[in-house]
Amino acid sequence: MVGPILFGEALALGLASGPACIAACGPVLVPSLLSGQAGLRPNVRTLTVFLGARLLGYLLFAVVAWELGVLASLVTAPRGLMIGAVYVLLASVLLWYAYSAKHICAQSCSDTKLVNISENKHRLVAGAAALGFLTGLNLCPPFVVAGIRAAGSGSVVQALLFFSFFFVGTSVWFVPFAGLGCMVRNQAVNTVARMAMALIALYYLTLGIAMLLGRKGYGH
Amino acid sequence: MATDTQPPRLARPATRTMGRSVLLTLPIVLWSFLMFGNPSVHQDLQAHIAGAMTAVFMIVLFFMMMKTGTTYRWRRWFFVSLGLLFPIGFIHNVIAMRGTMGIPVEEMIAGRTPFCFMPIPLLILPAAFTRTLVFPGSILPNGGMSGSGIAAMVGLWLAITLVIGKGWCSYACFFGGIEEGIAAVPKRAKIRKIDPRWRYLPWAVLLAMVLLSLALFEPAYCMWLCPFKAVSEYVAARNTVGLIQNGIFVLLFAGLVIALPLLTKKRTQCSFFCPFGAFQSIFNKTSIFEVKIDQSRCKPCVLCQNACPNMSLSKESVARGEALMSCMKCGACVDACPRQAVVWHIKGTDVAWKPERARLMFLYAAWAMAVMFGGSIIAQGIATILHFLA
Repeated sequence: MVGPILFGEALALGLASGPACIAACGPVLVPSLLSGQAGLRPNVRTLTVFLGARLLGYLLFAVVAWELGVLASLVTAPRGLMIGAVYVLLASVLLWYAYSAKHICAQSCSDTKLVNISENKHRLVAGAAALGFLTGLNLCPPFVVAGIRAAGSGSVVQALLFFSFFFVGTSVWFVPFAGLGCMVRNQAVNTVARMAMALIALYYLTLGIAMLLGRKGYGH
Repeated sequence: MATDTQPPRLARPATRTMGRSVLLTLPIVLWSFLMFGNPSVHQDLQAHIAGAMTAVFMIVLFFMMMKTGTTYRWRRWFFVSLGLLFPIGFIHNVIAMRGTMGIPVEEMIAGRTPFCFMPIPLLILPAAFTRTLVFPGSILPNGGMSGSGIAAMVGLWLAITLVIGKGWCSYACFFGGIEEGIAAVPKRAKIRKIDPRWRYLPWAVLLAMVLLSLALFEPAYCMWLCPFKAVSEYVAARNTVGLIQNGIFVLLFAGLVIALPLLTKKRTQCSFFCPFGAFQSIFNKTSIFEVKIDQSRCKPCVLCQNACPNMSLSKESVARGEALMSCMKCGACVDACPRQAVVWHIKGTDVAWKPERARLMFLYAAWAMAVMFGGSIIAQGIATILHFLA
């Protein structure tokens, strides 16, 4: 009975933590979806890739959490370094993504540069995967709670399953993001989304570098 | 793109008689008396004098709008005064209360931050998800958590905004006046060609800041990007991040509020950066007042486009007979048009239907608010100066 109760707890924790997960992933996910093509299908595809990669990040974290046991190292200096590194990587991917997304809406399907759109599609899928993976490693509070709980699991498989159920719980909250595909795409929306991505990237870059240098981000 | 903010004086609408202008000004006289004539509000002599000076100032400006039939340059006197006097009164109050312009984070958490309208769009998502205000401000002079006070201020802002739309940015914002004043200094713009895509940046700042505010659970714009922190209250720099934040504030103020308005003769911070301005643009859809172009009179001379201080008129929008969504209803384009083809308009009516009546209705709403909000700030600034002179 321990298994179902534990996984039920993981699912409930995921469902309860959903708003916090949306808040943490929103700055990355919303502009990247808005900078892509209109329509439910392309948005669902990007969202699926993003969430799939996020699951990979979760599972990697589950293995690390189980290995470390009580996650002692995550509450001390290495935690700051790890978040700092993730922020810098996230910023780099966001900047690259913002640059890559520049032709998405500028060319229609009848445009002779259709090949470029296709190339961009692949690059953006890779970008969505990278963003999903990095946000999966982002140590937001509910994620750390789940990590501590998973660390107490009997085996690494249990820890992986715990995080999988936690992921399913949180992912329910991401479903409405697919609706962003219904929004009109034009040069204005595409440019705004790309500019927003660049701004968010600069924010993460500043915080990431400050953390890597061992500076405090808060408490001013 | 030519960028002369000052409307040319080629042809003005017919001026009114003195008696009719006085009559039309009477409601504002009464409103000003109501706002500044209450002896219990002003307790010392300086405050009484400041209140009287402000009331006379606001009444005279409105009278001139009525008498001359023009709007922009009279409004600009008010707006620049507001922009210049706000920091004087505000900084004096903050230093008197706290001893420094720097605000530590514990003061913010304790709700001892004066209320500012800028974070209103940043409050929405965190409030929707958690029913918590991430801007723990207060309208009480000595601080203290005041959620209901903030709710009242947000309610007042919403009521005004629903009526005048983005007119808020020309008649109420206490920040925009500084750059409008600076933009008026040079005779000609040094930078005349501005890529219109920069108009999208405020929306990007809005999107980024709304999302980051939800993620960080703090008003991200106030913490990182507000140029006016340089002349109001900045983050108390206790570490490197605090220093970076203050550096960003100063750089943005120097660039967007001083250097670029001097070079472009535009309100560059309002046009190309301010997320609150972008948010206000949405309410231009709810406001019944707008600026239209009467196609039957328009010869595309681009004088209106040149006069617009925030690039809210483009060749395409003029061809469509309307201003862009970002129009701040300052009246510069209307005053600049020698054919009176650019007109004030009430939605749902014919474009040529009594534009002066539409202007009057808009101005009564906007100026009443200007007297109430801006007037009290101007009075406070004047009182501070008088206090120092006494």
